[in-house]
Amino acid sequence: MSVLDGVRARPQATAGMLGRGRTRPQATAGVALTLPVAVFFVVFWLVPFLAAIYLSFTDYEMAGTPNWIGLANYERMFADPGFLNSAWITVVYTVCTVVPTIVLALLVAVPLSKPGRLNRRLRALVMIPAVMPLAATSMVWVIIYSDRGMANTLLGLVGIEPQSWLTSSDLAIWALVVMVVWKSMGLFVIILTAGLQALPGEVYEAAAIDGSGAVTTFTRITLPLLRRTLLFVLVISVAGSMQAFVPAFLLTGGGPADATQVLPYYIWANAFPYEHMGYAAAMGMVLLAAMVIVSALQFGFLKGGDE
Amino acid sequence: MRAGTILRAVWLIVAVGFMLLPVYAMLVVASAPDDTDLRGLVFNGFHLPENIRLLFGEANLPTYLRNSLILCVGTGVLDVMFSAAAGYAMAQLSFPGRRVLFALVIGTLALTPMVLVIPVFLIVKELGWVNTFQGMMVPGMISAFGVFLVRQFALGIPKELLLAARVDGAGEFRIFARIAVPLLKPALITLFLVHFLAQWDNLLWPLIVANEQELWPLPVGLANFQSEVGFNYHLTTTAALVTAVPPFILMVALQRYYVAGLTFGGLKR
Repeated sequence: MSVLDGVRARPQATAGMLGRGRTRPQATAGVALTLPVAVFFVVFWLVPFLAAIYLSFTDYEMAGTPNWIGLANYERMFADPGFLNSAWITVVYTVCTVVPTIVLALLVAVPLSKPGRLNRRLRALVMIPAVMPLAATSMVWVIIYSDRGMANTLLGLVGIEPQSWLTSSDLAIWALVVMVVWKSMGLFVIILTAGLQALPGEVYEAAAIDGSGAVTTFTRITLPLLRRTLLFVLVISVAGSMQAFVPAFLLTGGGPADATQVLPYYIWANAFPYEHMGYAAAMGMVLLAAMVIVSALQFGFLKGGDE
Repeated sequence: MRAGTILRAVWLIVAVGFMLLPVYAMLVVASAPDDTDLRGLVFNGFHLPENIRLLFGEANLPTYLRNSLILCVGTGVLDVMFSAAAGYAMAQLSFPGRRVLFALVIGTLALTPMVLVIPVFLIVKELGWVNTFQGMMVPGMISAFGVFLVRQFALGIPKELLLAARVDGAGEFRIFARIAVPLLKPALITLFLVHFLAQWDNLLWPLIVANEQELWPLPVGLANFQSEVGFNYHLTTTAALVTAVPPFILMVALQRYYVAGLTFGGLKR
């Protein structure tokens, strides 16, 4: 049971006995309690967002003043091999991290959500990789992928030649993907397990009485009932992958030869080391638009089945 | 039936074993005396205490650790305070601008940091906060997630309770401090934990805003660790292990709040 459950289940509170009219003390307190947050969001979210839109139409380069150049940054993007390469790598990276992570996490979470002492202990262990900081994780995987590291040792047991995982332009992206799948799996197992445990038990009893097999129960009962949790996991994992900066930065530095230069990395590199702020802002806008479209599609796709 | 149970147990043990393998490798390499064996499979003595002592004595690890703690505890406490006030007010008080503020919070939930870092950096630069603690801390001080989490939770506070207090003549601030805050405690602990863990892992912003080593938190320090200890894998791994300890302790102490934070929004609303 989640700590927040009882409260969340309540229907949304209405204005109650006071009706829609507000009282003066409430209005004063409401403004006073929200003012710091309101100011903060305006200064550090709304203004920067509007500024980013403006910068994306300029040639701003840190030194000097921004000049309006219309859509030139956006046009430049689609002729820039670096951007096109990064966009493509981001697509590959997102698909190849999200799908295996969710499938593997489901395969673990479904049996793990069943009661029992062993499962309770295993559930606690799964949290360990989930709370490992990404920076620490990346350092460990650099060693796992080193020439004499664990990856080559274990694959050597099944007769695979040692590889230079992080310095080969064919392998580096897959090395990154494996690490990220591992890292996110713990998190998603926990979320899915919690979702599975919240499913009504009676449905399963009824299915068992009707002689439903494990596979039928999974596809006909578990998956549909779990749809909300799955949608949540899908949305956060896609969004997380599309903005992932740290793995590429720490494991490969976007290399070798741009092979792991995901879009967030390319944006950062353009904005900070190279100071092409206007161009980077425009690419940020494209990334944001892509994220909004993809989220909307996911909601549409999974909500479509409701009722 | 019985075979199925055993098969399931075997699968789970193998799967969880694989999930823990890199953590085990970290322990092994972090305890190694040198870089001769990087397989991370068998312990070659247990030199972890010596390695830690070395890093605390000769590297900047204590500075990074201190900076990370200041950053995470500082912004975590501020986030909890401001989100508690705003989340409660948005759920339970009627005041002008409530709808606009809610739209602002929901809108910011959708924004990606990659869009904001450039203008926020320019603002911080304008304020003269580059290479300062406030520059690292203030822009990430309040999270839309926090305000939203507290608001959703505060919607569940019974109206009658607040009304009774008002009838008794309690002022609005007193009601917030004495009635709402104690009831919101689970949400506030969850928020602190989620904030702490996210901030502990924040590499991008400090990387952009702090070039002075004195200010670096752990992720940035770790990213540049080779400049301190050379290509010294086992010591880098020891540093990574030290980095993982505080989140681990928090997770053990506050496990159910952690799960609640992770699944917030994932279950039925």
